Amino acid sequence: MGSDNLTNRVRRLRFDNGEMTQQQLADKVGVTRQTIIAIESGRYSPSLPLAFKLARAFGVSIEDVFEFDDEL
Amino acid sequence: MTVLQKSAWSNLAMSMVVAMVSTAAILHLASRNTIGVIYVLVCIFVPIAMAPWLYIYHRKKSLESRFDEREKMIYKRAFIVSAYGLALFLGYTCILPFFVLGGKNVVKVYYLPLIFIGALFAAQFVHSAAILVMCALEDDDG
Repeated sequence: MGSDNLTNRVRRLRFDNGEMTQQQLADKVGVTRQTIIAIESGRYSPSLPLAFKLARAFGVSIEDVFEFDDEL
Repeated sequence: MTVLQKSAWSNLAMSMVVAMVSTAAILHLASRNTIGVIYVLVCIFVPIAMAPWLYIYHRKKSLESRFDEREKMIYKRAFIVSAYGLALFLGYTCILPFFVLGGKNVVKVYYLPLIFIGALFAAQFVHSAAILVMCALEDDDG
């Protein structure tokens, strides 16, 4: 489900945004807490709409949240 | 526990109960060797016996709308696993008697509805079990 060359800064951004909990972020983007956990640990790569929702939840661009390294 | 896991547990329990009740009913009818006029009653009974399966199906559909995208992916993967489970079940139940009894032997007719119930149960059981295993594996990783 995850992608080896997709990394994310969701955990960092949560803490930078008033130490937002996983549940609060999950409620904000309309998924379960387990999905946020899976995304943070890199076990699940979200769809493009969910990636946009996550970026907007933090008020940043999608590339500030996710990084794709095609050389890995 | 997520909605997906709760629905998997409830479907597992529900399908077990329905399969047991249906099997008992079929075996009871088989013991009475129901034919002729009583056959009409059987025709009425079969849709009634199948109604809980329809309930499970509709319940799954309504719960499915509440799953998020990762859960939908797990659900679809479990569905593929259940299709393999169903194929294996049908393969074994239909081919095994051929080798055990021989090609020229006969099987009793009441095995047919039992195979049908068994196939529905096998598919439901494997689907629910696959969901629970996939969720558990993800929880272990986390």
